[in-house]
Amino acid sequence: MNNRNDMPDLQEKKRRRRILIVEDEFVNRELLKVYLEGEYELIIAETGAQAMAALRTQIDTLSLVLLDLNLPDMHGMDILREIKRDPELNRIPVIVLTGDTESEVESLNTGASDFISKPYPRHEVIMARVRRSIELSENRDLIRGTELDQLTGLYNREYFYRYAEQYDTFHRGEDTDALVVDISHFRLINERFGKACADEVLRRTGEALLAAMKESGGIVCRREADTFQVYCPHREDYEAFAEEIAAAAGEGLKGRVRIRVGVYSRVDKTLEMERRFDRAKSAADTIRNSFSASVAMYDDTLREKEVEEERLLDDFPEALAQKQFAVYFQPKFDIRQSKPVLCGAEALVRWKHPEKGMVSPGVFVPLFERNGLVRDLDNYVWREAAAQIRRWKDMLGHAVPVSVNVSRIDMLDPELTDTLRGLVEENGLDYGDLHLEITESAYTEDAKQIVSVVSGLRELGFRIEMDDFGSGYSSLNMISTLPIDALKLDMMFIRTAFSENGNTRMIEITLDISRALNVPMIAEGVETEEQMLALKKMGCDIVQGYYFSKPVPAEEFERFLI
Amino acid sequence: MLSIETMRSWGADVDEALVRCLNNESFYLMLVQKAVQDANFDRLPEAVAAGDLDKAFEAAHALKGVTANLALTPILKPVQEITELLRARTETDYSPLLKEISEQREGLTALF
Repeated sequence: MNNRNDMPDLQEKKRRRRILIVEDEFVNRELLKVYLEGEYELIIAETGAQAMAALRTQIDTLSLVLLDLNLPDMHGMDILREIKRDPELNRIPVIVLTGDTESEVESLNTGASDFISKPYPRHEVIMARVRRSIELSENRDLIRGTELDQLTGLYNREYFYRYAEQYDTFHRGEDTDALVVDISHFRLINERFGKACADEVLRRTGEALLAAMKESGGIVCRREADTFQVYCPHREDYEAFAEEIAAAAGEGLKGRVRIRVGVYSRVDKTLEMERRFDRAKSAADTIRNSFSASVAMYDDTLREKEVEEERLLDDFPEALAQKQFAVYFQPKFDIRQSKPVLCGAEALVRWKHPEKGMVSPGVFVPLFERNGLVRDLDNYVWREAAAQIRRWKDMLGHAVPVSVNVSRIDMLDPELTDTLRGLVEENGLDYGDLHLEITESAYTEDAKQIVSVVSGLRELGFRIEMDDFGSGYSSLNMISTLPIDALKLDMMFIRTAFSENGNTRMIEITLDISRALNVPMIAEGVETEEQMLALKKMGCDIVQGYYFSKPVPAEEFERFLI
Repeated sequence: MLSIETMRSWGADVDEALVRCLNNESFYLMLVQKAVQDANFDRLPEAVAAGDLDKAFEAAHALKGVTANLALTPILKPVQEITELLRARTETDYSPLLKEISEQREGLTALF
């Protein structure tokens, strides 16, 4: 039988907040002690020197200082100033203990959060003021806490924009640059060296940027993942800056860290803050695949692109209303038999712009995703696809399953399930007629939430196809738990495998995975007979691609149905 | 004999002070005894004699706080007066006020 007396006290004592009382008069000190010791841990200092020593050693644990201004060795005001001047100490609230109204104003102006005069008010009043000062400062710390990015200690994006606006008011008439600083191939760093190391790189980058800003002036934030934003006084040349940051970021790492700097020089201050950084970002994006450049300036060609995109955005509502968006269908063929058999289609959106002709989805889809319009577009595509399935069902007497793309952003729409369910019921379809294609990378962020939505959809009867498989970052054990009914192999695999020096090993491995999961594998982007036959030999189930047909309008698709 | 009653007859506002002492009588009486021994009672006349009105003001100010907290009214009154004069660094004859403070202090000490 265990002797329970030996067991350590597992109940954690509730940690009491700590207050420093600086007061040289015995009577005053004793009164304060008796009021406060019930609720707080107290540290007593009787002289200015003792107070400063206590502050230095207790810096992390003090919640408040009660400071008498009449000290034998120093003026309390000097201590107050010292506390407010020190970047580490100034977060600690100070209540000044003063005997007269004159010092009250001065202390408040110097940064005291409150004062208590003598004779002391009722002890409940003292307690309340102490509590309030502590609460206010803790709330402020909390807000500051959420202002900051956890990893790097820099501002996070929203607060950064507010501070940037403030920066403008203090630097009117001065030329300012907006920078986007990106770590090239950050994902590779993550994979090659591990997350801890990658986090270190981010931290070092943040530190280096902060240090640079301390020198030149300006503010920094971490925008997301591997991107930082800088708002600083104008500089003609950023090459040296880029080198410096890259060197600091990659310290101790085998192999260099390369960074991309997009610069929007001499910002137009009538432009919204976010837009200034969008321009810097578009400049940074032009360096994306270059191996030599580190710095790119936002310039006229980018401006033109921006104007173009503005136009497309403006045209969107009308385009939607006028059905300028057409839904095309690309057939999928089951290749396991001796002859390929049509087993479904993927619905893809095309834009027939009245002036510009066909606008590539590669251009407008990411644009709409960035601007929150993709939800309306996707809903439109689903509606058209569902209606088309109905028409074919009536024509043929059986359904041709059509898959539609559901983006990560659609996943976050709380009405998603209802919308999809509505479409199925309105059109009198079976749930299995409408397949949902969700890309692998959608699962890797907010995985839990996505998995729960997808499981719900699957339970209703929707078939889920994991799109672009191999392009995301799922771990093997995660894949085995995902609710999916088919794997769609990313086109890049096909391209690489059948390129000059490629091999088909990766495809075989993915086929093994799909068999282990007991789901069919769909290969997308198949262009030649050679590819199709090789895939068939390997055991691939379904093929989609230009080899069979490019995406076509519904009327043209009907030739596959007979 | 130091007690609540003798404090009251001496002129202290005992009720006010007791509230401040959370109605703890022995605590109050202990503090009164300490108050009467405050070094500033000596520093004040010394500073005035030395002509150091800054120091004198600080001493008076400190005494004011303590005597106000304990509601030692007979001492508080002259202390308040001298504090205001010293705040303005007034050139005047401080001896009457100093005498008053000293006498009231002795009167209180006599109770122990």
